[in-house]
Amino acid sequence: MSALTLPARPAIRFDLRARPGTVLALLVVAFLVLAALVPGLLTHRSPTAIDLQNNLAHPSWSHPFGTDDAGRDLYTRVVYGARESLGIGLGATALAMAVAILLGFTAGLAGGWVDVVITRALEVVFAFPVLLLALLLISIRGPSVGTVIVAVGLGSAPGYARMVRGQVRSVRQSGYVEAAGALGHRRTTVIRRHLFPNAIRPLVAVMTLGVGQSIVWASGLAFLGLGVSPPSSEWGALLDAGRQYITTSWWLEILPGLVIVLVALAVTSLGRTLQHRLEGAAR
Amino acid sequence: MKTPLHRLLALGATAVLATGTLTACGSSDESANGGTPVKGGTIVYAHEQEPPCIFGGWIQQAYISRQVLDGLVTLDDNDQVQPWLATAWKVSPDGKTYTFTLKDGVKFTDGTPLDAEAVAYNFDYWENKGGNSTAKVSIDPYFKSAKAIDATHVEITLTHPYTPFLTLITQGYFGIQSPTALKNRSAKENCEQPIGSGGFTVAEWKHGQEVILKKNPNYTSWPATAKHQGPAIVDEVQWKFVPDGVSRYASLTTGQTDVVYDVPTVNWKEAESKFDTTLYITPGKPVSAYINTVKGVFTDKLVRQAFSYGADRKSAVEAGFHGVIPYEGNGAVSQATPDYNADAAKDYAYDPDKANALLDQAGWTGRDSDGYRTKNGKQLFVKFPYPAGAVINTEGAVVLQVLQEQWKKIGFNVKLIPATQAEVFAGKYSGPDAYDASPFYWTSPSPSILWIVWRPSTEANPNGNNQSFYNNDELARVIDEANTSTDPAKASELYQQAQQIISDNAVTLPLYTQNSTYAAAKDLKDFWLEKSQGEPVFADAYFTK
Repeated sequence: MSALTLPARPAIRFDLRARPGTVLALLVVAFLVLAALVPGLLTHRSPTAIDLQNNLAHPSWSHPFGTDDAGRDLYTRVVYGARESLGIGLGATALAMAVAILLGFTAGLAGGWVDVVITRALEVVFAFPVLLLALLLISIRGPSVGTVIVAVGLGSAPGYARMVRGQVRSVRQSGYVEAAGALGHRRTTVIRRHLFPNAIRPLVAVMTLGVGQSIVWASGLAFLGLGVSPPSSEWGALLDAGRQYITTSWWLEILPGLVIVLVALAVTSLGRTLQHRLEGAAR
Repeated sequence: MKTPLHRLLALGATAVLATGTLTACGSSDESANGGTPVKGGTIVYAHEQEPPCIFGGWIQQAYISRQVLDGLVTLDDNDQVQPWLATAWKVSPDGKTYTFTLKDGVKFTDGTPLDAEAVAYNFDYWENKGGNSTAKVSIDPYFKSAKAIDATHVEITLTHPYTPFLTLITQGYFGIQSPTALKNRSAKENCEQPIGSGGFTVAEWKHGQEVILKKNPNYTSWPATAKHQGPAIVDEVQWKFVPDGVSRYASLTTGQTDVVYDVPTVNWKEAESKFDTTLYITPGKPVSAYINTVKGVFTDKLVRQAFSYGADRKSAVEAGFHGVIPYEGNGAVSQATPDYNADAAKDYAYDPDKANALLDQAGWTGRDSDGYRTKNGKQLFVKFPYPAGAVINTEGAVVLQVLQEQWKKIGFNVKLIPATQAEVFAGKYSGPDAYDASPFYWTSPSPSILWIVWRPSTEANPNGNNQSFYNNDELARVIDEANTSTDPAKASELYQQAQQIISDNAVTLPLYTQNSTYAAAKDLKDFWLEKSQGEPVFADAYFTK
């Protein structure tokens, strides 16, 4: 009967004492989510308030991250930038996943020539670096948050789609799916009850990793001046603006850069933890 | 010379600002110049914008084509026209005929003679064959014909007297090219390797990277303003395109380049202490925004004026450019332009109360949930695309963001849209539906630039350069009268009157001057900028040991 046993639903539990890194990552992500949802809680300033008398001020108690060339408080700008950065990260990943699931399942389930066509098409798109695809799209549609989400999302979709297809195919051949079929369940029920959850589960972790990666890509695009319009304080745009001052006012470049690194690390670390848990549970 | 005081002041200011290399020139004392001159070598120069062709109607093209092509005349540092390919010229008493005597024996680098026929051909090429859009609009209104009298005499006939004519043709847009090359070669060859008689020839253009300029060993036609007689002293100039200001300046500090263009102002103080620096304020239309007067919120003059009063442009410019680049309050012409109206530059000093009162008066009395003003349910919205990089560098972009925040306070929702150079050239943001305000500069050594920018656009005679879409017949009459006046004092008065009309109607939003800032390594001497629009000159430059 063991072949018919469904894999246990993984219990997502973190042993806090055992993994201080995870705790730290959770704190960073919590802070990030808070910044994205209610930035006003974390700072009393406006991200666009100009103070020309206090421009390019060093980090201090009143301006923990210093001020930029227009006297805007950099800490406040980083906090307010979280919404766009996180929004782009989540939006792009969600889009990538939606496209990936659609294509991956179609290819994995249909098989035959449909599979061949989709797989070959994905391989062709896969041959182009994500950033190149994103640049192409932005050059057609012009830079905006929406375009960046679509660009990064579509750019990273082929990789995920291949993964989904592989998962679908392997789960399809597993004993419990065959058994469900043998027991006379309808095809749609088998897909909904058995195939979908089991093919998707490992991707949850990959998706979490993808959020961090998308934030970095979006920042890269904004750094190239192809992201969001001014005076947005999306993190990549902050990096782009700070570049000019790297030799004279280091904080404008270094601090937003560190924030991106920290957030990408935190999200990635959570993704890995999740991955271990899920894989451990699935095996 | 009857020169108005403010003009002298403007000239003086420009001269004072031109420090370093310009003032160090002409000294024969080698020890004062710090080292023994060396012959040969390669100058590595880092420029910002890569133009579509070497020769063309954009100042970025004049900068590089100046190395390859010679002009008829040139402008000295006192704004006086000096000989170049033309050794002398005569103006007929009615001011309509210019006869130039050409330097004898000058040859293009393809071996063909640079004679009167060639010069006449070039005038026809600019004017009638699409050879150079800026050359065309500069002489268009008054140009009639060009003809060779004999091998060394060429006669230019105008329809009206046009005093700025000589000054205008000192610009790089009027570089003389080999007619043989223009006629017999492909458009691509003429675009990438124009053939002139200049100190250098284009050896190769590696797109996206650099243009290699090789010394013309047979150079004979240097201008009267040259720092030395003879062919270029260095063998080669590598004209690199480095769009990023930080990398450009860093390349100089690390010794990878010898000269860089557009030094980030945040590094200017350091550059002044370590390098030979030059700050040249370009005459002509400064960086000021065209205001769309036919569509959108700015069709109402009161709203335009409120927009001008509503932001502290002076403080924003001073902060954004760290006090290096001057604020320009006259949106029509910059302070380095002859016949500059300094009074008009003082209009619209920051006055938020007045701006608010004007907007109330104009009926924008409602407020929406974001605090922006509304009128009949419509938001006071301003679409403000700007050419990022090509016109507005990163420092200029900060200035715009500061203004955006101040406009917000009086109820304007200003949407800044950075446009790439490709988008600008493709015309994505042109036409009355594309913007409410958009900044540009247009350099010129003469206030006659006003005619190019503000000539009314009619169906019979459209003017695509009038990007405020502002047709004012009175303004047109005043500028035309100034252009054709043979009395310099009268012309000056009229040009200033025209600037005042432009200011009174708030059809342009003044921001800051267009400039050339340069930093050069100390071991490079006699690198200089010509006067008409700050084109760099490498033919006299040499290294010292």
